Amino acid sequence: MELVVLVKQVPDLAEELEIDASGTDLAREWMSFVASEWDEYALEEALQLRDEAGGRVTCLALDTGSVDELLATCLARGADRAVKVGAFERGPDSHTAARAFAAALRTLPHDLVLTGVQAIDDLDGQVGPLVATELGLPHVSVVTHIKLAGSAATVHQEYAGGLVAEFEVDLPAVLGVQTSREAPRYAPVSRVRQIMKTAEMEQVDVAVAAGSGLTIEAMSVPETGRAAEMIAGSPGAVADRIAAILRERGIVKA
Amino acid sequence: MFDRSVTREVFEGLGTAGEVVFYLLTLLVTIVFFVGLGLKVRKYLRGRAEDRFRPPADFVQNALRGLISAATGATVAKRDRFAGVFHLAVMWGFVVLFIGTAILTIETDIVGIFAPQYRFFHGTFYIVYSVILDVLGLVMIVGLVALAVRRARFRKPALDYGRVDLEGATTNRGGFAVGDSVFLGWLLLLGIGGFLVEALRIVAHDFPWFEVWSPVGWVLAGLFSTLGLGAEVAGSLHLVFWWGHALMALAFVAYIPFAKAIHMLTAGANLALRSPLAGRRLPVLPATSVAAIAGLAAPVVADGHVGLRDLADFSWKQLLDFDACTKCGRCHVACPAVASGAPLSPRDLILDLRQQADAAWAILAPGAEQRSDRVYGDGVAAAAATNGNGAGPAPWEPTPPGPGGLMAGGLIKADTLWSCTTCLACVEACPVGIEHVPAIVGMRRSLVDLGIVEPGLQTAFTNLAKQGNSFGQSGRTRGRWSDGLPVPVRDARRESVEWLWFVGDFASFDVRVQEATRLVARVFQEGGLDFGILFDGERNAGNDIRRAGEEGLFEVLAEHNIGQLSKARFKRIVTTDPHTLNTLRFEYPQFGGDFSVWHYSELLTWLFKQGRLSAASPVARRVTYHDPCYLARYSEVTRAPREVLAAVGAELVEMPRNGANTFCCGAGGGRIWMDDSGLRERPSENRIREAAALEAVTDFVTACPKDLTMYTAAAKATGHGDRLAVIDLVELVAQAIGLPDEVPAEPEAAPEVAALATSGAPSEAAVA
Repeated sequence: MELVVLVKQVPDLAEELEIDASGTDLAREWMSFVASEWDEYALEEALQLRDEAGGRVTCLALDTGSVDELLATCLARGADRAVKVGAFERGPDSHTAARAFAAALRTLPHDLVLTGVQAIDDLDGQVGPLVATELGLPHVSVVTHIKLAGSAATVHQEYAGGLVAEFEVDLPAVLGVQTSREAPRYAPVSRVRQIMKTAEMEQVDVAVAAGSGLTIEAMSVPETGRAAEMIAGSPGAVADRIAAILRERGIVKA
Repeated sequence: MFDRSVTREVFEGLGTAGEVVFYLLTLLVTIVFFVGLGLKVRKYLRGRAEDRFRPPADFVQNALRGLISAATGATVAKRDRFAGVFHLAVMWGFVVLFIGTAILTIETDIVGIFAPQYRFFHGTFYIVYSVILDVLGLVMIVGLVALAVRRARFRKPALDYGRVDLEGATTNRGGFAVGDSVFLGWLLLLGIGGFLVEALRIVAHDFPWFEVWSPVGWVLAGLFSTLGLGAEVAGSLHLVFWWGHALMALAFVAYIPFAKAIHMLTAGANLALRSPLAGRRLPVLPATSVAAIAGLAAPVVADGHVGLRDLADFSWKQLLDFDACTKCGRCHVACPAVASGAPLSPRDLILDLRQQADAAWAILAPGAEQRSDRVYGDGVAAAAATNGNGAGPAPWEPTPPGPGGLMAGGLIKADTLWSCTTCLACVEACPVGIEHVPAIVGMRRSLVDLGIVEPGLQTAFTNLAKQGNSFGQSGRTRGRWSDGLPVPVRDARRESVEWLWFVGDFASFDVRVQEATRLVARVFQEGGLDFGILFDGERNAGNDIRRAGEEGLFEVLAEHNIGQLSKARFKRIVTTDPHTLNTLRFEYPQFGGDFSVWHYSELLTWLFKQGRLSAASPVARRVTYHDPCYLARYSEVTRAPREVLAAVGAELVEMPRNGANTFCCGAGGGRIWMDDSGLRERPSENRIREAAALEAVTDFVTACPKDLTMYTAAAKATGHGDRLAVIDLVELVAQAIGLPDEVPAEPEAAPEVAALATSGAPSEAAVA
């Protein structure tokens, strides 16, 4: 079973985000990056599936010049192979990313392609569907509970109201992973460091057209709403004010 | 003075055949004794290498110190006078009786054969010999009886062999109790038997005048005589009892290596080999391991598993540790994990490892524990096949564990290992110098290497790796606690300072502790201290990350901080955090960072002594002081904070457990990041109850940022928050020197500052 996981980095929200001078992008100079949470779920699922069914886990990341640690962490967690795709100055839009991943996948064996269902930096959720379209593969999004059964896989989608749908999808396929059955495993720092120092990352060159037809016009920090009242003062004063509000609104009587 | 008739015959009435039988038996038991000892030594040689002998000057000094503490029984007497006194009696009684027997061997089998003209066992020598042996024999018997009574009647919790980690299994430790009784009883019979033989001899010889110098035998002989025992009957009884005594003594020698009695050798050796840095300075990973190789950029090794995974990963000294254990249970009752109902007992951890080693390597050790859910010696692998998150096995291909299977995560369960707070109470309490904490951390290293990490810990590790702090906050905001101080704190990276203040995570980021941190800055300024901080150049010092077993992450943090520190210009480091103090002081030298590091309590004492701080308005309150584990035990600082309390005019009321005998808050060794909801009683709550039982004490004073958060929460949780204020030492100092309250500065900072300024006061805590 050839399992391929598409991974990327997103800004670390521990940092305070700032908008750059152009007003259409984050100020990236001091930004630090972390692995996208959903991609970590996708990798954990891939590792679990590999441990059950055997095979190999390959991680692909678009080469933005700073993905070595991301891929080393994937290897430290147990991925068998890590490949950098193309050459990008910074993370491209979903359409470009999907074309690049698809081009790379045409040169790599793949029975199941897993990706995080979305990422916090664009909330686009389109890389999975677009890769599937490029490659002419079936695709299911927002999946959990992946099970392999011969040349097919069954997956769950959870709907509002506690309903669960079970899909069977023929392999090869692309899945957008919502969560993994277990929390993503820990990658010991010494293992990551060892891999960073010793492992050679593979590289696949791709030539793809850039652009999605979408342009960011402006980016801004939402204005603070006026509905909130900030209560200041000693704990006693704060408590009094809260009690008063609760009475005003009729939430408590007396 | 006395002639040659003042003596006794060593083999009286034995005859040649008797002597031959005796010597053959002696030869046999000597062989058994040395075979038993050889098995132990062979076991130690299976362990990993560990240098305990360099530098030689340190080794000699430590060895002497250890042997003196063994000889004086200091470690046994610590906090248990009764056991100390009577153990000393038994030990020296036994040693002197053994020397007495050795002297007889020299007289009979060496001098008597090779130089009969120099025989010395007569006259004055005989009389002095008789007195000493009689007195010490009696001393030993008294000691044995006292210890037997203690064991049978005192119901010491330390001597309760109940386990804390059974999880539904059953166990039988009857063999332990039998072993204890056999050891004690056998020594008692040896002592009493010796006196009976002596008394019968005196009666048989019709009370020779000089035998009055064997006072116990003389009195006993008088008693026998009064009861009608004649010389002739005594003579034949003497031979019977002589043989009985001799056979029992010989058998005892053969029994020593296979029972608790071996501690007569292993405990002394272990104390002599004890490291004064045990737990304080953890070992760097051995050169064969991954991290070291990563540092050297050497090729990937096929296996290179990290930490104490297998039996053979333990060092020879650790294997000796296991054999030194006498099951005295002092670590068991001192341990906060045991007290809080966690599945860890340092005693049982050591005993499990010992029994596993003996069983796996086929070393005879009778009286072992029988557990329903495991067969000691069999490979234990199942529990470790999945990690703490239930994920699969490690991705690299480690060699399968050797005999006995996995220790970390196998024999010793992951939950057990995560329960340790590394408070060092076990190491401090152990009378035979066992180093539990390094063994636990070594096994944690293996867990981390295998990806088995407690979920809360995993979050902390991830945050620390990304931002250098466990709070998940941007590392760039680390110095923000100092914003808006009346006098800004200086940047030690930009200008040279005398004191570099290493602030630490909790002091930088925890809202309650920040309040104390700001006071520390203002008190330092008030004392005219030339100091600065590293601001966002500082990262977590790594003490607790190392103790949680994430050695690679610790190395990253230490390397970063050492890099920053070496760029700054300063004379000394000061920190409020005892954990930081420990790793900066004892561990950074392993990575080339050699600094002089002080705790702020020491610096405050010094400022008071220098007259740079003075208590203009003494705080006349009854307070109690909690010794942080990492201050009182690790760095052995107990006086400085008390001197500060005296300087500010507070009346100190000690808790029963104070000084080096302090009780852990439960936060150390990474526990502060782990889930503690399953505990029967949090250690911090146990401690607050101890403080609350003191009469009319209003303040619970700490000198550790983690303590401040732990005990603030514990005081609230136990309902003592309204009458017991948890405060930092510096808050009393600020009050005493008359530091004005901070004026809320900029309007946008007002709510935070207001909250900070009030939440420490006891009257407000009730409202909150």
